Amino acid sequence: MDSALIPDGVKRCPLWQFLLFIGAVGAVLLWGVYAMLLCWLKGLNQTNMNDYYGFALWIWADLGVIALGGGAFFTGFLRYVVGKDKLKNIINYAVLIGFICYSSALLILAIDIGQPLRGWFIFWHANVHSMLTEVAFCLSCYFGVLCIEYIPLVLENRQLYKIPLFHNLAHNMHEVMAVFAATGAFLSFFHQGSLGGVAGVLFGRPFAFREGIFIWPWTFFLFTWSAAACGPCFTIMLTKLLEKITKKKLVADDVVELLAKIAGWMLFTYSIAKIADTVYWATVTAPAQGFNISQFYSNNPFYGIWILYLEIACTLIPGLLLITNGGRKNKFLLITSVIMGALAACINRWVMVLQVMAVPVMSFDTWAMYIPSWQEVATTILPVAYGVILIAISYRYMPVFPQERELNPTTE
Amino acid sequence: MKIDRRSFLSLGVGFGAGIALSPLPWKLTDDSSIWTQMWPWTPVPERGESRYVNSVCTLCPGGCGISVRKVEDRAVKIEGQKGHPVSNGGICLLGLSGLQLLYGPYRVKYPMKRREDAKRGQGKWQKISWDEAMSEVAKKLGDAKDKTACIMDSDKGTVPQLFKTLLTGLGSPNFMRTPSVEDSFELALLKTCGYPASAGFDLENADFVLSFGAGLLEGWGAPVRTFKANSLWKDKKVPVIQIEPRLSNTAAKSDKWIPVNPGTESELALGIAHVLIKEGLAKAEVSDSFKKIVSEGYAPDTVARITGVEAGVIVGLAKSFAAASKPLALCGRGKGATPISLNETLAVYALNALMGNINQEGGLFAVPQPDYIKWAKTNSNASVSKLLYGKDASLKALLVANANPLYSLPDTQAVKTALDKIPFIVSFSSYMDETAQYADIILPNHCYLERYEDVPAPAGYHKPLIGLSRPVVKPQFNTKHTGDVVIAIAKAMGAELPYDSYETCLKETFGDTWEAFQKDGVLTADFTPPAPSGKIELNETSLKPVALEGESSAFPLVLVPFDSMRLSGSSIGEPPFVIKTVDDTILFKNDICIEINPKTAQSYNLSDGKYARLTTPKGSAKVRVHLYEGIMPGVIAMPRGLGHTPGFTGNDKYLAGKGVNVNELMGSAECPDGLNAAYGIRAKLERA
Amino acid sequence: MKNEQGKPKKYGMVVDLDKCTGCGACMVACMSENNVPFKADESNKRDSITWMRVYKITNGKPFPDTENCFLPRPCMHCEGQHGHSPCVSVCPATATDYSTETGIVSQIYTRCFGCRYCMGACPYHARHFNWWDPVWPDGMEKSLSPNVSVRMRGIVEKCSFCFHRYQAAMDKAMMEGRKELEESEYQTSCTQACPSGAITFGDLNNPKHAVYELKKNPNAFRLLERLGTNPKVYYVSSREWVRRAGDNYIKGEWENKQNAKK
Repeated sequence: MDSALIPDGVKRCPLWQFLLFIGAVGAVLLWGVYAMLLCWLKGLNQTNMNDYYGFALWIWADLGVIALGGGAFFTGFLRYVVGKDKLKNIINYAVLIGFICYSSALLILAIDIGQPLRGWFIFWHANVHSMLTEVAFCLSCYFGVLCIEYIPLVLENRQLYKIPLFHNLAHNMHEVMAVFAATGAFLSFFHQGSLGGVAGVLFGRPFAFREGIFIWPWTFFLFTWSAAACGPCFTIMLTKLLEKITKKKLVADDVVELLAKIAGWMLFTYSIAKIADTVYWATVTAPAQGFNISQFYSNNPFYGIWILYLEIACTLIPGLLLITNGGRKNKFLLITSVIMGALAACINRWVMVLQVMAVPVMSFDTWAMYIPSWQEVATTILPVAYGVILIAISYRYMPVFPQERELNPTTE
Repeated sequence: MKIDRRSFLSLGVGFGAGIALSPLPWKLTDDSSIWTQMWPWTPVPERGESRYVNSVCTLCPGGCGISVRKVEDRAVKIEGQKGHPVSNGGICLLGLSGLQLLYGPYRVKYPMKRREDAKRGQGKWQKISWDEAMSEVAKKLGDAKDKTACIMDSDKGTVPQLFKTLLTGLGSPNFMRTPSVEDSFELALLKTCGYPASAGFDLENADFVLSFGAGLLEGWGAPVRTFKANSLWKDKKVPVIQIEPRLSNTAAKSDKWIPVNPGTESELALGIAHVLIKEGLAKAEVSDSFKKIVSEGYAPDTVARITGVEAGVIVGLAKSFAAASKPLALCGRGKGATPISLNETLAVYALNALMGNINQEGGLFAVPQPDYIKWAKTNSNASVSKLLYGKDASLKALLVANANPLYSLPDTQAVKTALDKIPFIVSFSSYMDETAQYADIILPNHCYLERYEDVPAPAGYHKPLIGLSRPVVKPQFNTKHTGDVVIAIAKAMGAELPYDSYETCLKETFGDTWEAFQKDGVLTADFTPPAPSGKIELNETSLKPVALEGESSAFPLVLVPFDSMRLSGSSIGEPPFVIKTVDDTILFKNDICIEINPKTAQSYNLSDGKYARLTTPKGSAKVRVHLYEGIMPGVIAMPRGLGHTPGFTGNDKYLAGKGVNVNELMGSAECPDGLNAAYGIRAKLERA
Repeated sequence: MKNEQGKPKKYGMVVDLDKCTGCGACMVACMSENNVPFKADESNKRDSITWMRVYKITNGKPFPDTENCFLPRPCMHCEGQHGHSPCVSVCPATATDYSTETGIVSQIYTRCFGCRYCMGACPYHARHFNWWDPVWPDGMEKSLSPNVSVRMRGIVEKCSFCFHRYQAAMDKAMMEGRKELEESEYQTSCTQACPSGAITFGDLNNPKHAVYELKKNPNAFRLLERLGTNPKVYYVSSREWVRRAGDNYIKGEWENKQNAKK
């Protein structure tokens, strides 16, 4: 029925199957929307956040998706600025994932703030000293860039492309894409960093605080670095997932391997930086504020030292695997590695948001543990459902994967 | 249509500019944010002329001076009144939150009568007029005659005197005062000094403080004054020794905390007296009978066995007490909400007497009872235990004013049973407290910030002093001054009263001094205390620690209530601000927490925050366990002042339904002098 | 450099922990002065708005050697370095500010959009979020003071050192042609109420104010000084364990510090 909309020369599942799938995910989406409306109408008392946990699950999700969406800027950077032309075969998908991640991040922020209708004050009454201001500006600008990067893909839909206006628009936009990609990379570099800065500048929170290189907290660089390392892992992970679901090869192995290799080197170098950071923090920064590192990981039911080891393992192991040819060629190792890579960013953001809030600072304070309310869980799942739907629609109706046709020749 | 790069760009720019130039999106964005800044459901307090009105707080027996800030006709803040002799600018948290009682939803707004189809306490009321209400009460009292009784929290001042006059007119001597440590003090002073007196303590001038469980920082005496004295002691480095089984705030701030087996304070005091006498440290003579008892039976080793305090510590305490020039021994458990045994009071009195500091600077004063109410022809007094629970209890009518016996007396069930036997109960409460809920008719008094009243003798104050409580705001509801109501009823019953209204009564009571009283808000008088006699006669029939209810085999633990400033224990309940300050180790959600030593808890396999069932011979309650190193093993402490029951459904979720009223679990242990000296009750604990 | 308003002031507090009895009067004095809202259940101290909170701290020893101490915690009005308090520098919308004239950290309720970054930044938990719409039971809104605006849901609030009292005192002084305030003219609600007189408030820079000398007490300390927050609330305690509890020390550090003093 919708065959006219489906790109030329590719095969898609029957419409009913597609609609059933969208319907199922849509139900989850609606559940999330309901929770979101509750939060907007009744206020944040719908969450289990409190004065100790001003930042919680959402902000973790926010930072998490931004880090994972980092695949877009870094792949774009590699393709348009460094000139890894091969990556054009995965760039569309990376941009799509980035678009989903960043739009989700903005939505989460709009739910998370206590006064959404005043959200624009962050621009109007901007405080230049605040890392969050920098995040807001760069994030919004970069989201604009992602829209510009994503729109041509939409316009390349078979029917839309027939319309000369859209056709020309798409064409023109493609031509200037390198400029936008470069801008995006630049913006992304800053907001990923300032998200790291958000935690790193908290000198009242010894768990988060990182002494500066020049005027910056290290977390600035670590966050950018980890986003560049883990984002592509996430892109590859989702590519492999989509291939599994569609039972098709969508991106040629050499493309994936190239991206995996770069991600591997990024992860490996990041893990060294992370270890160095951890050692300096544990031996110099924290003790100077009166904390033994063990204090950050004991006397509480959840945050053991395991979480630190797990985080480092999730950067070092995939890094080592992906920089070796054998690791990339072995399907199991590749997939394990990219999953671990994506997990590394998630754990890091979790720790830098939630554990920061949990650790007692005043000597007589106690650990603050927290369990999210269903409204928080639902609003956190909302972007996932939204992402799944957008990917499904984009994949069905747009030429997301340029290699799909040649890798899956139709028989008819 | 062909679009080239040029038209693509111009289109884009034009589009953007079009939106930007249209005022609509900007205006809407701006308006919506402005709307969030003035949400119609967020109140905006009205501005206006502001001024201060001075009065006296009557929420506890402390009688502190307050200064209420008003904006137009609204009272917006209560502050301490600078220069007031009792409190000098200081104020406690309950006093500070008084406006939440004035404006709270728990006020009784008009006279009410229990609906005929409803049982007591069901909360079904019928609004009636003042005339109907008063003539009904007059009629019922006329029937009840001398079987009428009245219970109040104080027996001093014009309003209690009016009630007494009313009772006298009815031929009834049944005026009761809610039991408190004042009973013990007054009885002890009457026996030792020979004249009716209240206990006054010259805290400020003492230079060594030995406190037998007195909750100096939990609301004992006039709390603000005691706090100020405590700070003075810190400045002057006056040692404070606190003796009690639990590390209370007083103990925590004292120089030394001496944990003592619960209920053995009396023995410890006599042990110290023993050392003073034996070692020749006494500076004044006391009666021989006392000396004999103490010398024979209270050697440090014996006392150490009973109290759990080492003999060496007892001797040391005696020596340092005697070495001070103005040592002061204090008693009265916690806030003093319950009496203590006469022997305990006498034992502590004896320590002061032995040091020669009775009626002396820095010592214990027997302050004569105020006698400014010349028209009072009566001084009837009756004991709660006889009238309410006695075998021949046969009351026909009970008047309850400024008291909440159903909440504040131990053994709630027994109180309820006693009240059930009384056919007619009148409450004069301003608030829907437990006893008001259980009344047949409520004649609501003005709240304390809406009425005139004389407030004599602040608790523990060592000089005669009367404060004047006066209207700060006009009555908010259809309430009437209880003084006026009593005068009207008394007149209707034919009692002889020279006044038509309470205000005239008050003015004429003070006569010439009224103007100065009005102006200053306090009246003081000089008094020359008589020299002490040294007479101390312990009741030999009860010279052993007070026996608590319950078998120790079935109830291996001892439950003691504890007081805290943050739980005012007032008969009304804790206003929202006060309950907000209560720690989550005392009240968690609506669960009451009990304190237990970790060692004891371990033997019951209980960890912090776990639920348990606490049972005493009187009742049982579900509690949460709070492990506390500051309590003796084998003892459980439970906060007093929680567990108010809801009066108006829904409206008092701020006040009621929080925790358990410890009095539901308490019993009594009457000493031969009629004082209920129960310091706790035996209890058992099970995991729940 | 001299400015028109006279020397810059640095308002602060010295709290005598030997005198503080934990009675809670400061907490309620603050609530009632500043129109702080309340809920039916305030037992969850992590969502209970208490600009002034009194912590109960313990020496952690078993019976009978246990000791307790109470520690009132208002906003510390941190100066950080050059006014960069932990919270002020992070607020994205300039809704909280460090006044160089008074040293007071302000909060603009109508500016704040509730991102709660400042709460995350504050190690003292002195900042509170309005998770709920403030609701006063019928009639009780009469007790609200017009001098302090009632906050709406979704924003952060905190202790202001009763800044409205400073403004009122300054207005009065201006009318009388004065530029300086007497110490007694500007006192916070908690200071005024404390029945123990444990709180002293004043200009830390002004030798005529009591706090000027009190803060030099050898037993004076500030909370979490080592973090560099540079708070303006000082505490005095004669008990060593209390002073130690004011900050964090790695193993053996405090003992070495004490030995070095001797």
